[in-house]
Amino acid sequence: MNGEAAILAVSGLTSGYGEAIVVRGVSVAVAPGEIVALLGKNGMGKSTLLKTVMGFLPAREGQVTLHGRDVTRDPPYRVARQAIAYTPQEQAIFQDLSVGDNLRLGQPDARWFDEELARVGEVFPFLKERLGQRAGTLSGGEQKMMLVARALMARPKLMLVDEITEGLQPSIIQRLAKALLAERARTGMAMLLVEQNVRFALEVADRWAVVKLGEIDDEGRSDAPDAAARIAKHLSV
Amino acid sequence: MAEHEQNHPAKRPATAARRRSDLGTVLKAGVAALVVLGVAPFFLDIYTVNVLIRALLLAALALTVDLLWGYTGILTFGQSAFFGIGAYACALVFTHWGFGAGWAILALGLGIVAAMAVAALAGWLAFYHGASPLYGSIVTLALPIVLTQVVFAGGRTTGSSSGLSGFPTYYWSIEIWFWIAGAFLVAVTALAWLFVRSDMGRVLVAIRENETRCAYLGIPVSRIKIMLLVAAGAIGAVAGFGYAAFTNVVAPELTGFLLGTELLIWVALGGRGTLIGPVIGAILIDVTSSYLSGSLPFYWKLLVGVLFVVVIVALPQGLMPEVTKLWRRMVPGARRTAKAPTIEPAPVREVAPRVEQPLAVRGVHRHFGSLQVLQGIDFVANEGELLSLVGPNGAGKTTLIRCLADGYERSGGDIKVFGRDLGRGPPDRCVALGIGRKFQTANVFATLTVAECLRVARYRLEPPSIWSSDNTLALPEAARRIVEETGLAESLDTEARHLAHGQKQALELAMVLALEPRIVLLDEPTAGLTRNERERIGAILTSLTERERLSILLVEHDLDFVREISSRVIVLHQGKIVLDGSVKEVVGSELVREIYAGTALDGGGGGP
Repeated sequence: MNGEAAILAVSGLTSGYGEAIVVRGVSVAVAPGEIVALLGKNGMGKSTLLKTVMGFLPAREGQVTLHGRDVTRDPPYRVARQAIAYTPQEQAIFQDLSVGDNLRLGQPDARWFDEELARVGEVFPFLKERLGQRAGTLSGGEQKMMLVARALMARPKLMLVDEITEGLQPSIIQRLAKALLAERARTGMAMLLVEQNVRFALEVADRWAVVKLGEIDDEGRSDAPDAAARIAKHLSV
Repeated sequence: MAEHEQNHPAKRPATAARRRSDLGTVLKAGVAALVVLGVAPFFLDIYTVNVLIRALLLAALALTVDLLWGYTGILTFGQSAFFGIGAYACALVFTHWGFGAGWAILALGLGIVAAMAVAALAGWLAFYHGASPLYGSIVTLALPIVLTQVVFAGGRTTGSSSGLSGFPTYYWSIEIWFWIAGAFLVAVTALAWLFVRSDMGRVLVAIRENETRCAYLGIPVSRIKIMLLVAAGAIGAVAGFGYAAFTNVVAPELTGFLLGTELLIWVALGGRGTLIGPVIGAILIDVTSSYLSGSLPFYWKLLVGVLFVVVIVALPQGLMPEVTKLWRRMVPGARRTAKAPTIEPAPVREVAPRVEQPLAVRGVHRHFGSLQVLQGIDFVANEGELLSLVGPNGAGKTTLIRCLADGYERSGGDIKVFGRDLGRGPPDRCVALGIGRKFQTANVFATLTVAECLRVARYRLEPPSIWSSDNTLALPEAARRIVEETGLAESLDTEARHLAHGQKQALELAMVLALEPRIVLLDEPTAGLTRNERERIGAILTSLTERERLSILLVEHDLDFVREISSRVIVLHQGKIVLDGSVKEVVGSELVREIYAGTALDGGGGGP
């Protein structure tokens, strides 16, 4: 992958919490319109990698570039302004605001709200019916869907998503996979996913990488016949 | 019956070797402090000593604010009230009743008792079940204001706005007063130090970090907070008594909320949650202000204000943590390496044979305003059964779990736990009946280590010591297995906030199992875990139901996982139970396929 052409290029990134190094010299690049899945066991540094890319954690070493521009030292809001949507694992919703206001807050321009809602509402029909409900009273899975909807409605060029499928019912996961692929086909959005659901990851992503102890241990294309077996081997040891 | 086991605290020999206490260090530091205070009056001028006596007493008061706010998270404006009660008890008795050793003891006793009674009342108002943290702040803010008004209204008796002065008191030399105040501060600091470093001290931090999780671990949060406020009130009253006896003057300002707020500033500047920081902060600021307020009455207040803003912006943790950091950098050996405790098996509790069903739910419903979330829920859970609860997102699964774990939650209907009515009690009552709940999102104590989180979870079964910490951590087998098989055993001294998401989930599950519940409510316990880790947790859950005859109610989206481990499945849809049957019946049903699973049944699974 050519770093110049990539929408997101991470090279030699090292970061962590306090004295603990969690991500060690990771390099990964995502091309425009490409979907890459980061897999791996718990505590291996996948979420930490996303947080460092977004600027929530300082990078100790290495570089993060978006559209060829160095954003390694940028605060999260400036990274987000590069048309990057980040959906964290913790439920980052505004509990006391309505569903509609939560969705509106992710919109760069209010004029397109209805149009975007109609589009994303096809994937998550409940949102349209419950715009006035307080977001904190949604169930755990519904909150997750609202987060994904909020990100999609902003038409990001790149989405960073941490465990999107956690707590969702199986039929919604299937619908979500289709919707993400359709969204990519339509807008050319790129994605970097952190996933535990390997089946979902392989269905959606073009490429995968297994993170182990803060380093990329193995990577490959999702359509390779041995992809599932190789990943399973990494996750079972 | 349920009481049989719950009133059966683990009997373990509490030998000195298994306990770790800072007693030695505290004694050494205490003696050193006493020596410094003992010689100090001979090197200082009389004005400084005078000012220091007041500062030492107020430092003890600041220390109680740190216990409440820094450690337990109760933002209090009202500690000045207890100081004022102690001071006025002294002044009133000496002025109106009499003076002498007997009267002094009576006045001190009255002050302490009155302060404790007021603290108990304020605590009850501020911390009853359902009170938000705001209540505490409002009540403690109102308390000094009310007391000041009482003093104003007291006419000749309290001296109204001019206070009381010139009452007889002990005209000891200033050195003696200094030593009394110093010894009092050293004693209070030493006791507080042992307390916050003990296992009980960790419980205070757990309350600050996550009160909800504490309540669902059966920790009587309200009672602990009230008792802490009562103790803090007593200490404040003693300090106030000393102040009045020494200065021979009491004024309404002593009970006022201005002093109460100043205490907060001193604590914040010194470093809250450090004990020593607030003590030093209080002494430094009070002494400096005595010197400067005379010569620079206006600028001094401005200076303190600016200093406060600068410290809060630049060092949100206060000064003490910076000093500690510097000290550790300069003295390499000074880093304290807290040794994680060794895990050992908890004594096996006898479970009395039961006749009743563990859980019988009849006609439970729950609505939020006009929104019906649950309607007519009837089901039973049997002993040794792993009952899975599946259903679309928003079907009411978590709401049902909540109704089972908190008696206040449901809008109507009956829940019987081993034949006993769940009633309308708070979560800790449900825990006492044998119910343990794992939340949907990992709910742990961020700044406590893994071992400390697990120890806090054992609160109900092994009441923690208030002056030492245990070198061993007794866990029942199931919790031990979770800790070992998910790699938490290697991270026992890691702070919980640094764990990965899935490890937090595993930690919370281990905490719930450490409670030794008979009914376990698990809301998506394996979300964020790999397939492999899920299987291991599944095996542990199965053995809990088979070997220990627990009843487990599991909310889960991964139908493969459900199929492997459940003995029965309940399907919830739009707030109603639409299916209750065997795994085969449910997983194969057309209805489930239609409303829930879609085409592929293993869609939620971790892998191929």
